[in-house]
Amino acid sequence: MVELDFERRLERLFASSPELADAAAFAERVERRLDAGWTARRWLIGAAGVVGGVIGASQLMLSNVFQRVETAGDSARLLSTSFNHISTGTDWVAAMSSGGAVVWVAAGMAVIMMGFVLTRVIGEI
Amino acid sequence: MPGSRHSRFASLHDVELCGLSATGERRAFGELVRRHGSAVRGVLRRMGAQPTEADDVAQDAFLTAFERIAEFRGEGTFAAWVKKIAARLYLRRLQRDKKLGAMTAEAVEDEPETPRGDADSAIDLEEALKVLGPVERLCVTMCFGAGLSHTEAAEALNLPLGTVKSHVKRGLEKLRTRLAPENGVVLEGRRGNG
Repeated sequence: MVELDFERRLERLFASSPELADAAAFAERVERRLDAGWTARRWLIGAAGVVGGVIGASQLMLSNVFQRVETAGDSARLLSTSFNHISTGTDWVAAMSSGGAVVWVAAGMAVIMMGFVLTRVIGEI
Repeated sequence: MPGSRHSRFASLHDVELCGLSATGERRAFGELVRRHGSAVRGVLRRMGAQPTEADDVAQDAFLTAFERIAEFRGEGTFAAWVKKIAARLYLRRLQRDKKLGAMTAEAVEDEPETPRGDADSAIDLEEALKVLGPVERLCVTMCFGAGLSHTEAAEALNLPLGTVKSHVKRGLEKLRTRLAPENGVVLEGRRGNG
């Protein structure tokens, strides 16, 4: 019983740690290290994104993407003409059918979606 | 504005700050460091670390805690959780610097004298801990200061459980002698942030 009492008193003594004079400065040092780590991580992710973008763009160039877009544009034009034949009421299809607009809008939306996904991934990291 | 940001977090409970930290809010974690930094550094000093060394290890412990904050389930206090991390990191550092082996060998050969307390002087825990051998000090502080069980301390120290138990027992006996009320020692601790 006496032993247990002493151990409890000892635990209380250990728990009552004095506030050190430089407590605020210590906390600031830790925050600075956290910020530095976070900045480094963001730079790393950014650099990885740039490298990935360059590789992706070069791959697109090499695969004659512009020629393919033109072909896809022709197909879209053909498709919208067919739609016009089926229904004269679908004006929006007609509005979109000039050149390869449909393809470019789809590509733009895909880029926005990718940006959104990347933002979420970076946020999760 | 940093001031207003800090005051916003100052009113929050540790658990709320942990929740915010888990979402990556570094300023909320900074508030936790402000609250418990001294306690963590204190435990390391009591384990025998020099002040600079204790600060380095405490910083690493808080950074580790931030990385692993999602693992903190709130079963104990945040301070107790970080103290355990800090104690383990300090032991790892001792092992890396090959100081731990020397300490344990020293403990068998060279038992320090247990000086009696001076009835006229006020002795605090820091002073009392100085009468313990390095390993006894480590074991007692890990179990009573950092909240590790005997088994956890044995694993962290890479010592048999029985050896750790006997170090703790001997350490407690010395502390009891040193801190005995008849020596005129006030057992109440100094005010702090626990």
